[in-house]
Amino acid sequence: MKKKDIFVSSMVTLSILVIIFYFVTVVFSEPERNLEKVSSEVSLNSNELVASFLTDEEKSNELYVDKILEVVGFVKEVTFLNKRITVLLYSKNNDAGIICDIDKNQIEKVKTLKKHQEIKIKGICKGFLKDVVLLNCYIDLKTNE
Amino acid sequence: MNKLIPILLLLTFFTDFDDTTSQFITRQGQVTFFSYTSVENIEAKNNQVVSILDIEKEAIAVSMLMRAFVFKKDLMYEHFNESYIESDMYPKANFEGKIINLDASVALQTKIIKGTLTIHGISKEIEIKSTIENNNGTYALEGNFDVLVNDFDIKIPPILSSNIAKTISLKFKFQYQPYEE
Repeated sequence: MKKKDIFVSSMVTLSILVIIFYFVTVVFSEPERNLEKVSSEVSLNSNELVASFLTDEEKSNELYVDKILEVVGFVKEVTFLNKRITVLLYSKNNDAGIICDIDKNQIEKVKTLKKHQEIKIKGICKGFLKDVVLLNCYIDLKTNE
Repeated sequence: MNKLIPILLLLTFFTDFDDTTSQFITRQGQVTFFSYTSVENIEAKNNQVVSILDIEKEAIAVSMLMRAFVFKKDLMYEHFNESYIESDMYPKANFEGKIINLDASVALQTKIIKGTLTIHGISKEIEIKSTIENNNGTYALEGNFDVLVNDFDIKIPPILSSNIAKTISLKFKFQYQPYEE
């Protein structure tokens, strides 16, 4: 009886330790922010995305916010303000577009971008202000499927 | 009647002209907040803050997405958006204010901006000290101020209250461009 008790309690302690270890490593380790190898949850073009937020922002928030989107669009501007790499994409609407905060490891691709060039951007959607905001973006220069 | 038309045209021309030159926008404003406690320091930065500055009306409007704040750890991002700010319900923080005694011609000045800050659905009157730089007709605003967590009905569970400061410091930096609609 006593042996069994010791066995059970040691197993319980062990499993608790394993759970704690797992929790600590999963929760406190730096997450993988490079989206290159992560597949997107939604794929659409810049016009569709901007139009969606302009017609129903609340519904679009539910559909897209904190999801990985893959967006095809045309380059409007590239900026390096505040040491960030930012690519703005056009949409049919003159005033609204998509603002993409690009991952630092994409710098070589960003340097080759030209205005009006068609590109595919994978990023995490954060919502809409004057533009749709995408963070942690990865660039795919080939847009053909 | 015929004489009136050119006058009217001239008038609309001038009002249009005034409108386009006095408004400035940034889509890449920077807002950082800090929480310092003996247990841990938390810092988060938002690089996609939108702000519109109207020099003629001495008015400023700022809007930011709470989920666009970037934290060092994912767990902080989660707590911030899901438990404290409740970003699904209140996705944005906004500020609308007036710059007191703005002198548009001065190259560098420090002024008080008086306005309403809305976070977590709660609006609060505040005064912010800001430097205003006029660089050949474009403007840059910079400054910092403090907010009290309690003022915005943000509930922090007792177990974590020692990890999060009662007073949060905020820093902002906006570089504007002329706004053409």
